Amino acid sequence: MKEKVLTLPTPFGAPLELYKNTWGNPNNEALALVSGLHGDHLQGIHLNLQLAQFLDSVVEGSHPDYTLKGQVISFPVVNLNAIQCGSRLAPADGMDMNLAFPGNPQGETTEALASAIITHTAECYWGLILQSAPPHYEDAPHIQTLQLDSSTKKLCRNLKLETVRQLKPSPAHKVTLAYQWQQHDILTAILSSGSPRTVNIQQCETLFQSIIHFMKAEGILKDRRKIKTNTTTKPHFYPPENDVSIFANTAGMFLKEVKVGTPIEKGQTIGEIRDLYSGKRLEEIIAPTEGFLLTLRQYPIVYEKEPLATLLTAKKSWRNILPWSK
Amino acid sequence: MQSQCIFATQTPVGPPVEIIRHSFSANAKKTGKRVSLVTGLHGDELEGLYICHRLMGILKEREAQNALQGEVHVYPAANPQALDSGTRLWPFFSVDINRTFGENNTHSLATDLSKALLADLKSNSDLVVDFHASNLQLMELPQIRIIKDFEKKLVPLAQLCNVDLIWVHPHADIFESTLGTNLNQAKIPTLVIEAGICLRINKTYCEQIILGILNLLEQTGTLQCTEPRTDIKNPKLLQPHQVAMVQSPNAGLFVKSVEIGQALQKGDKIGDLIDSSQKQKEIIAPCSGLLFTLREYPTTGQGAPLARIAIEETS
Ligand SMILES: [Zn+2]
Repeated sequence: MKEKVLTLPTPFGAPLELYKNTWGNPNNEALALVSGLHGDHLQGIHLNLQLAQFLDSVVEGSHPDYTLKGQVISFPVVNLNAIQCGSRLAPADGMDMNLAFPGNPQGETTEALASAIITHTAECYWGLILQSAPPHYEDAPHIQTLQLDSSTKKLCRNLKLETVRQLKPSPAHKVTLAYQWQQHDILTAILSSGSPRTVNIQQCETLFQSIIHFMKAEGILKDRRKIKTNTTTKPHFYPPENDVSIFANTAGMFLKEVKVGTPIEKGQTIGEIRDLYSGKRLEEIIAPTEGFLLTLRQYPIVYEKEPLATLLTAKKSWRNILPWSK
Repeated sequence: MQSQCIFATQTPVGPPVEIIRHSFSANAKKTGKRVSLVTGLHGDELEGLYICHRLMGILKEREAQNALQGEVHVYPAANPQALDSGTRLWPFFSVDINRTFGENNTHSLATDLSKALLADLKSNSDLVVDFHASNLQLMELPQIRIIKDFEKKLVPLAQLCNVDLIWVHPHADIFESTLGTNLNQAKIPTLVIEAGICLRINKTYCEQIILGILNLLEQTGTLQCTEPRTDIKNPKLLQPHQVAMVQSPNAGLFVKSVEIGQALQKGDKIGDLIDSSQKQKEIIAPCSGLLFTLREYPTTGQGAPLARIAIEETS
């Protein structure tokens, strides 16, 4: 069910309208899915629309194998002004929506929208935030969490994605949706993938299957078929100290030679930087260690000292040595 | 004057982006404090740039006259590419540098810059002044904003700066990634001055603050003081409950009918709001007091600030 939950007047035109989708039994524990906090994070919006189509068909009975047992709430587009303008931030105030939580119902547009999201999701049991990589980068589909306690780990296992990255605590986190959800005791994960301004259908499909699996594992969705999956995806939990950034030592045009989401060998060529005037190769970018390529520079123009890639390395982690930690 | 580059990065098209610190220092034994002045964290706020330009001229002269007793460090352009393009954010990264201070989970050029600036300020300062103009929307009377936790230490220093008011406000999480909060948490007293409006220079406000900074330098023993200044304003000290914010009841065009700095009576008309259906509504002062913030940019959203009033205490 699509429901208008907030109307905000605009100075000269039609009002802004925030919509919420709801499926399932309102008395049951709810899963919240939020995308479009940044106007250029289209991957999450696409994922949400795929899920909307799927859940509509389940509720209508055109997927006879599935029954919706729990409740699902989704906010496909939140930063309405930014999405309308094709930009990351809302141009009118330049405020970063994901630095505006918990928001203020009496405040400016961005704050009022943030507040509405908190109000309408505060009672949810689980929360998933669907986002893309930061500007100029591409992320392999992965889970980000602010904490790694046992219930968050269970949530990650049920999402059946291989890569779980714990974020290093930062003062800016306190004003993000993920942090505020945690303050409401909502089990929270951020699903990050792709680059801003683009949709990667294959990555969306991976995450779509991951969310379906999660809903089945948590009993939100019932599958009458007793299909045994023979894939055994076990997540790798990477604490912040397992991040290895690879930097540019020169400025110019970066041409990549690898793909996100792939394992990288120590000494492997990540790409090269060429001079904008002479075309000369200024630098070959080499992996300093082996690891999983989580993030890669997508926009080719680079400044000196910018990170070009992030590898997740398991080397320093004692967790991977202990069988029960998996 | 000695100049040093504290952060540099090569740009793809050639010349580097550099952050420069200009230092003025006592020739003989230093008895005074080390004071740092930072401006241009937001590239569209130009008042601080002009203030620093003027102060550097004065400091050069005073240095030649051996009138410095401590050190003054000036960082006149903390976000050079944003200043060049007149934008609040570092354009290539769409990042607000003043939201990247403190621990960070992601590596980026913006966080590298903020780390380098914070470290340099920490190792060179006993006291810091961070200059800001307002955003595009609001005009501000010269003021210093202080987070409640740092009130005791900062108010006596702020009173030296010739501002119209000192506004003590409660802590909010969003401040935790700002330069001011990070320095204050590191026990380096830092004053955040806010004056005027972005993309413009208000010369009167600038002159007022230049005088205030010279007074601050003299009173803290950084600069030799010949005779005490008699022309320094005694700022109004405002606690959170003494500030009334007037928010826009609707989206539309706000047309002001008062000027900033005016003493308002309760019920005075502040302006008109014309909404998208062409309906006009009078915006009225909810209390008497000094008008210290006023919307200059007419287009407004619902809930956006139109004015702030320093509430007059009725005795
Ligand atoms: Zn500023």
